[in-house]
Amino acid sequence: MIQHPGILALLVASGIVSLLLAAAGWQGFRILLGWDLRSGSEVQLDLERRTYLVSTLVANALLIQILSLFLFIFTAEGLHNQFVGAMCAAGSLAVNAYGYPTLLMKVATCLLAGVWLVLHRADTQGYDYPLIRPKYLLLLVLVPLVLTETWLQLSYLTGLKADVMTSCCGSLFGQGRQGFAAELAGLPLWLMQPVFWGTFAALLAAGFLLLRFRRGAGLFAGLSLAYLFVAVAALISFFCLYIYELPTHHCPFCLLKREYGWVGYPLYATLLGGAIAGLGVGALGLFRNRESLAAVLPTLQARLAWSALVLAALFTLIVGLWMILSPLRL
Amino acid sequence: MIELSQVVKTFEAGLATPFTAVDGVTLSIPAARLTVLKGPSGSGKTTLLTLIGCMARPTSGRIHLHGLAADALPHLAPAEALEITSLPERFLTAIRRRTFGFIFQQFNLVRGISVLENVMLPTYPTGEDHRAVEARAVARLESLGLARHLRSSVDRLSGGEAQRVAIARALINDPAVIIADEPTAHLDSRLSEDFMGLMSQFKDAGKTLLITSHDPIVYDSALADLVVEMRDGRVVSET
Repeated sequence: MIQHPGILALLVASGIVSLLLAAAGWQGFRILLGWDLRSGSEVQLDLERRTYLVSTLVANALLIQILSLFLFIFTAEGLHNQFVGAMCAAGSLAVNAYGYPTLLMKVATCLLAGVWLVLHRADTQGYDYPLIRPKYLLLLVLVPLVLTETWLQLSYLTGLKADVMTSCCGSLFGQGRQGFAAELAGLPLWLMQPVFWGTFAALLAAGFLLLRFRRGAGLFAGLSLAYLFVAVAALISFFCLYIYELPTHHCPFCLLKREYGWVGYPLYATLLGGAIAGLGVGALGLFRNRESLAAVLPTLQARLAWSALVLAALFTLIVGLWMILSPLRL
Repeated sequence: MIELSQVVKTFEAGLATPFTAVDGVTLSIPAARLTVLKGPSGSGKTTLLTLIGCMARPTSGRIHLHGLAADALPHLAPAEALEITSLPERFLTAIRRRTFGFIFQQFNLVRGISVLENVMLPTYPTGEDHRAVEARAVARLESLGLARHLRSSVDRLSGGEAQRVAIARALINDPAVIIADEPTAHLDSRLSEDFMGLMSQFKDAGKTLLITSHDPIVYDSALADLVVEMRDGRVVSET
């Protein structure tokens, strides 16, 4: 199974990303300890020269890291027919104890990588490396997470045994079952509908506040993250029922199948992209007083806020249209 | 004004054969004046020019630039001093383009294209209106007595003419500082005197001039406000 193209690509990508980030982490450590732009010392000038190359390498590595999340779920979905009992990626991920932790770690590193890229973009707009310390501090948080994820993924992928009987998504995400997934599936419609639409409306209001009055970056970031969680919960709780046209099928992974138009990919991409953009707004808001960024930060924040709002609206539009057009009525 | 503080440039630092071309230079180059760096070959003059002109970064030390053009960097008042050795590359490009005009020892004209195109070349990345640039380039070339060579290939120019084309190219973005590396090395005495005449005009126009030379026509000229003598990468004297 290790010779599966998706598995090989994931292992190679993770290996490269881990090596690059580990090396960059050492550079980040040196920067956090010794960076002093007022100094003209040889060490300082060496750090300035190296950071350009290191930042560029890290930015490319983190882009691969973000894309690897989608390759991971694509591969897990493609592997499900290798396991007895698996009907989709939900079953593939349950083959051993490392599947779901790998997925959750990939989502976490995807969000943090996105925020790092936003900070990096802003940092390159200032002439005095205005975000160099926060950028490398975040990198030092990312490095152990990515290394842990690489280990989890390696354990998961090398531990895939074809003779293992696994669970199907119907049992993992079925109402009345045990576990967090089943509890999400069992969230009542009367609760989740207003929570979802309320969070979406609050996000729009926070976006208006930010774009009109340049206030509330932290609130917008918090609501963007809340929207991600609420939207995933709503997707499992009731949106996917309309997509599957089945009142009892709550699986968030079957959305990745061809028979549902691969709708899961745009849905998850809009949610993650929106959350990254929203968190980026909040992260940049922490540094609005940096003099060399004073001219560029409001524009960058506005672009990110618009991106977050458009992506959230796109998600809502897709699931909303599916609700309207589906013959299922709850 | 350009201020250098303990500037060191070591090539192949950390390798088996390191070579320190500039060794702890501290210097103030006044604005709107002519400064000459003189010294024998290998004394570090050209290396120092490349550091000041943002074409290379020092190994250690800092260089501050005063009186930048208002549009050189966003939201930086022209009167403020800017430390240029730490600037990320994208800002250095802007500084090189807006602040410095370079006249190289070998002129570095691009062969195979016309005199006019050579002069217009530094403006292409700015996206400036082509007709406005062409008009400015023609005016520069005419003022330097090169009107009849506008459409000529640079391969057909004499040494003095090639240098004047290089001067026109250095001036096309209206830089505050003109840097010339051994500008009279390939010129006879009459052409060298003509060159100094042009420098006099630029000085009167408020340009800061920085020239390296071991030609007495340059460093003994009455035009020179500051003569910095260098040897073995160090400043020996300032007169």
